[in-house]
Amino acid sequence: MDPFQAIADPSRREILMLLTKDKLSINALAGNFDMSRPAVSKHIKVLYEAGLILIKDQGRERYCELKPDGFDAIKNWLIFFDKFWKEKLQNLENLLNQRNPKNNESN
Amino acid sequence: MQRDIVIKWHFAHPPEKVWECLTTSDLVSQWLMKNDFKPIVGHKFNFYTKPMPKMGFDGIVYCQVLEIIPNQKLVYTWKGGPEPGITRLDTLLTWTLIPEADGTRLILEHSGFMGWKNYLTSIFMESGWKKKIIRRFGQVLSEIK
Repeated sequence: MDPFQAIADPSRREILMLLTKDKLSINALAGNFDMSRPAVSKHIKVLYEAGLILIKDQGRERYCELKPDGFDAIKNWLIFFDKFWKEKLQNLENLLNQRNPKNNESN
Repeated sequence: MQRDIVIKWHFAHPPEKVWECLTTSDLVSQWLMKNDFKPIVGHKFNFYTKPMPKMGFDGIVYCQVLEIIPNQKLVYTWKGGPEPGITRLDTLLTWTLIPEADGTRLILEHSGFMGWKNYLTSIFMESGWKKKIIRRFGQVLSEIK
């Protein structure tokens, strides 16, 4: 199932929204819903197969968390802008020095 | 996860001179990007640069001036996306000038990189969009019959 179909279901969207706050065990997730634990497990399996969440065993519990790929776009922007602003501020400094040559001596 | 960019820079020029370069459209276009900025709270303006399709950016930054304290502080929104009407990057720029004995300290804060919240919003939006297309497709098909 592709991610779009995976999130077409409101219960699965609710699971994703709960996981945006913190990783949760399958039992803890099931506690947020009226449906049976097997029904919740089924939704979790769909989200897992769509590549939207990770499932990790921790002690006796299975924990779900959001798959970090979604961070990539944001991370790329942060890396991009860090470099971008440093270049632009250097341009600004050059422009200021050019427009106000007297202040330039202290540089 | 890091959510903001903060860059500090020292200029050997008084705040008034730095402010002039931050708030005069022609000057801003010389060191930053082409723009139609005006130093008026509420003014909506754009920056224009090269598109970056891989980043989902069409080359237009949509901005609105939120705060102006002459020679001290300038705040505007900084939004962009793959095409007009779709915002993937919804951020805020804050320029703060602090006078120093030998010039000005500039603090640039680029904030609002929200991580998962933006990501989920965008996939939910796309899912809505896809459903609409499928529905329209179904309508077209039934009309052909």
